[in-house]
Amino acid sequence: MNKKKFILFPLLAFVLSSCLFDTDDEGLSNWLSDQGMPSSYKVQTVTVGDLNPLSAEVYRDTLPENARVRGLFGSVSGMSYKAFFDFKLESFLDTLNAADSVMSYLHLRLLDSYYTDASTPSKMFPIEEQLKVHVSWIVSEKMSNSEYKDLENVTDSVWFHELESWNPKYSADTTISVSIKRTKDKKGKFVLDSLSSYLTIDMPKDLVEDVRKSKGNRRLQLSITAPEASHIYRFYGSAYTVYHPQLVMEAMGKKQYAKSYAPMRSARVYSNREKCSDCLVLHGGVYDSLLVEFPSKPILKALSDFYGDEFPYTVGDSNDVRQAVVMAEVTFYRDDSKGQSELGLPVMVVVGTYMDSADVPVFRGEQYAKLNKPLINASGHPNMVFHEGDSLSLQVTYGMRDFINRASDGRTFKMVMRLGKSVVLDKDSTYRDRVFVKADSTEIANGNVIKSASGDTLQVFFSDVDFARYDFSTIKSKPATLKLWLASKRGEE
Amino acid sequence: MKKFISALLCVSSFSFASMIGVDALGQEQIAGGSAAMAGRGFAGNAKTGETEGVSIVNPARQAFDSKVSFNLNFLLDVSTADRSNSHFTKTNVAIPSMNLTFPMNDFGALGFSLWQHYSSSMRESVNNEAENWNAEIEYQSSVYELVPSYAIRLPFYRAISLGASAHFVMGSFNRNLTLGPDNSEIDSADVWATNNSDVTDHVSGDWDLKSSAYFTVAAQFRGRMASYYLSFTTPYTLKNELEYNFRFSELDTLAPTRYTRSIKVPAMFATGVNYRLNKRHNVMADVAWRAWTRDIENVAGSWNMSQVTKTQNDFNISIGYQRDGSDVFYDSYWDRIAYRAGLWYKNWYVEDVSEIGGSIGAGFPLGRKGMTLDLAIQGGVRLTDDDRNWSESFIGIRLGLVGVGNWGKTRGQ
Repeated sequence: MNKKKFILFPLLAFVLSSCLFDTDDEGLSNWLSDQGMPSSYKVQTVTVGDLNPLSAEVYRDTLPENARVRGLFGSVSGMSYKAFFDFKLESFLDTLNAADSVMSYLHLRLLDSYYTDASTPSKMFPIEEQLKVHVSWIVSEKMSNSEYKDLENVTDSVWFHELESWNPKYSADTTISVSIKRTKDKKGKFVLDSLSSYLTIDMPKDLVEDVRKSKGNRRLQLSITAPEASHIYRFYGSAYTVYHPQLVMEAMGKKQYAKSYAPMRSARVYSNREKCSDCLVLHGGVYDSLLVEFPSKPILKALSDFYGDEFPYTVGDSNDVRQAVVMAEVTFYRDDSKGQSELGLPVMVVVGTYMDSADVPVFRGEQYAKLNKPLINASGHPNMVFHEGDSLSLQVTYGMRDFINRASDGRTFKMVMRLGKSVVLDKDSTYRDRVFVKADSTEIANGNVIKSASGDTLQVFFSDVDFARYDFSTIKSKPATLKLWLASKRGEE
Repeated sequence: MKKFISALLCVSSFSFASMIGVDALGQEQIAGGSAAMAGRGFAGNAKTGETEGVSIVNPARQAFDSKVSFNLNFLLDVSTADRSNSHFTKTNVAIPSMNLTFPMNDFGALGFSLWQHYSSSMRESVNNEAENWNAEIEYQSSVYELVPSYAIRLPFYRAISLGASAHFVMGSFNRNLTLGPDNSEIDSADVWATNNSDVTDHVSGDWDLKSSAYFTVAAQFRGRMASYYLSFTTPYTLKNELEYNFRFSELDTLAPTRYTRSIKVPAMFATGVNYRLNKRHNVMADVAWRAWTRDIENVAGSWNMSQVTKTQNDFNISIGYQRDGSDVFYDSYWDRIAYRAGLWYKNWYVEDVSEIGGSIGAGFPLGRKGMTLDLAIQGGVRLTDDDRNWSESFIGIRLGLVGVGNWGKTRGQ
């Protein structure tokens, strides 16, 4: 007897019998209904108007940042950048010392990706100005060989920490003439004019002499800044093998010698130069942030009026799971007239909120996840400044979800805003980089017309930052509106 | 050990099919879900034999076993719920129990069982954009019991044995009702905000006992023709510690609110008889009875779900027949097969729910060493008379593997 048949026959019977039983379309839906469960959740909206913040405060970004990839110096729109370099002055000091005369200059290669980007406004060029550069430096004491060798092992973060209390003994000013022009190559792409690729900053005589009189192993820490400049200049950082910043020393006498030094490390430090201390001004391209705190009462009252329940929820452990926020959007009044931008492109406002994670409040960036496509197609993304209209709508879904869930502990609703990236495709509701299948031209938000060949990609966002300033002071005077899209577990009466 | 067992159970995807009482305790797996017992209508707890093994309601029986046996049971089940021309069907695969008995001659017999006592299991979805239906419902609840038992025949009256078992309870509960948005109440200009916004009403938690264990005690009489047993199971309170949440994904949730529901399960009385008509023909009948005095608090917690499941006196009456297979290896294979048939009537713990079922089964010997494959085909109906529960019809196949060994025996014993 084949024993497999004993198993096979019943299994076959089972499968056949399964076919006899069938599920009709409405079966599960009706069953859910009889259990008191719905087949979908009803979306409900609640609008909370006239929402005035309890407080609004700007926090500045003060920490040095690494300039390995991109160095910055200059000044624009109430902010300035200082560049720092850390050099090892190796094996050339004796030659310098013996020379009849010595000269030194700093070569900075301008960042092509910014200056030749088709989205960078053409009217910005040529960039021409007489730039007064303030140079400060620290030449170290003579170092032993091992100390000198160890310099390269100093971690960047340790050096950044030291820069926070930068206090050089010597400083001097020098002037350069900036002239940056761009032209188009044969393919129609922008390139920097050959004389425009570098900024060459002559080092002050005091610095040269200070270095020249030094002997042995020395470290030179150098800072440049141009507080009166009308631009912030972007240059290749110390990580680049060819385009890195170069400090050139030339010894002139019977023979002429030159040596170029590459920095071991480099940094950039932003400083705020806004004069109005009460204004809620944020700068773009840096981590300035604006913390806005809303009271809980009007939000909870609106929910209470809508549902007819007590808010906040105080039963049991008081965690309110009776409903959840599907979407939340805060809309502020917007007045772009007090703002300034370098690129003329709209700038997206990035939002973060606070929420509990394992009972600890943590900051979390909100996603711009839901796209109001009809609105975007008509007037652009609603979460941008520097574009048409007079409102700014920001999605705060995660934070509002957490706020209503845990409102029983008396918390307020806090959101943090920051100026984010500049938007090239401001009215494109796909919100994806555009890949061209055939040659085309696109007029972007700042009026530039970008010609694209087949296979080219036009990105949603500009590749660099806009050192813009935006004054959000109207947040304090003009009330905001909160709109909630809600899913509720409440049963029907 | 608990972790290992839990992992094993998860991998095995333990589940039963009924949709009745899913929000209360779920379906009860009677008689430990044994395939051999199922083949005779779940009757025969009084039937003793060389390898009848562990009986969940009658721990005294194993004292009459003479060989070590290991038993693993499987269930394949199709169930259709019906109401007013609406119906839906679901299928399940389960491993309701594993049992091991270890007879020690004059020192009695030890037994261990892992039993899925109650379970809710379903995973179904419904989609119809025109009707605004977009739901997926998932229940996974299992109340497992780890049951060590011991039985011994009275030294002065060998026809009677006494047995006792302790039931240690564990398990988990999980309910997900995932719903898509119904935008019929909002302005069409606001619909954009609900794209990709499925939400899940999520409830999860653990099963436990309020005390450390509950117990069953039993006495068994084995006569030449007739055998009887009586058993008593203590009442106990099940604790179900639950977290209620609303979530958008597993990582995007609210802070849950916690609640513990307690379910007072009453004492159970059980008795049964097995009568041997002649050498290999047996008829048997069993009764188990529990008087529920309290309703069961449901998981509920959302929409219009009912807060309680009303209970009723819960009993199970089974009658069965078994023709034992010949244990002589040289007899024909057909003669060595055990044949079984039975019927049962069960009043569920859920008010106004009863079950009528019938089964046929067979035990196929595999090889000379005493391995057996038990097969049972069962079918029946669950009848209901309330607004929530739908009547069901079910068919299923149970498979049981029995391994027998002579551990601890010397030649001639």
